[in-house]
Amino acid sequence: MKAFVITNAERIWLLLLALTAAGAWLGETGERGWALTLTVACLIAFKGRLVIDHYMEMRDASPTIRRLLYAFVVVVAVLVLLSHRFGDVLARATAQLIA
Amino acid sequence: MSATAAIDVSTATGRIPGNNGIWVGIFCVLVEFLLLFGVYFIAKAHYPEAFRTGPDKLATVAGTTITFLLLTSGYCMVKAVAAIRRDRRRATLAWVVGAMLLGLGYPLVKFFEIRWNMAHGIDGETGIFYTTYYYLTLNHLVHVSWGILGLGWVAVRTGLGVYSADDYSGLEAAAVYWHTTDVIWLVIFPFFYVLR
Repeated sequence: MKAFVITNAERIWLLLLALTAAGAWLGETGERGWALTLTVACLIAFKGRLVIDHYMEMRDASPTIRRLLYAFVVVVAVLVLLSHRFGDVLARATAQLIA
Repeated sequence: MSATAAIDVSTATGRIPGNNGIWVGIFCVLVEFLLLFGVYFIAKAHYPEAFRTGPDKLATVAGTTITFLLLTSGYCMVKAVAAIRRDRRRATLAWVVGAMLLGLGYPLVKFFEIRWNMAHGIDGETGIFYTTYYYLTLNHLVHVSWGILGLGWVAVRTGLGVYSADDYSGLEAAAVYWHTTDVIWLVIFPFFYVLR
């Protein structure tokens, strides 16, 4: 029988599962604060990049598509940080939408 | 556009996985979800207390299981693409069917999650956090459903021997779309189950 070989695909998959488990643990124990927000922003950017680079194989693909995909996860991660710090500003700016 | 031409796009500007058409669809979906995330951020800014306590009542295990299913299904599609590049068609079919079956686990888990929510009095009118949660997660489920249908189509075509090491752009297009639903879920999961 052919031995099961651990390749890069398995390593990335296991890393993604481990990071997800860590996120779930945070979900059960974490309290609102900068530490949780910063960790979540980093997890979104890092896990997103792992999928983009290794699942979608974008590292040697079209730079335009690759950069747009990177931009998506980075923009969302930055918005997570900004919404934590400037939530009140966003609430005032959008007050008419909610009223 | 011929499928063969699509996978031969390998110029100084880089290779385009799958085909051009799927990327138009993928970026439409990404823009759509950016707008939906805007709804999340605005709602959270107006009702921070509801978003601080909201995740406590959701079943984190359901969100985590969905993440595991999607990531493992995505891994199967990585293996499927690798297998067809070696012209191993039976292995390719096995990986695609595996990806599809794991993908079908998502709506199954979502069904039990919503049933659990209802039993605990959590519906779309329980509060702003839960309205936003149903809005985003069910929207994602719709996009995953397209992906599962795509995987089914690719499984049939793989079984018919349509794909080969020289022409597998259709299979790869389904794979990159499927991975896109992963990327989006990796944002939605912490929004509702982790972040406060």
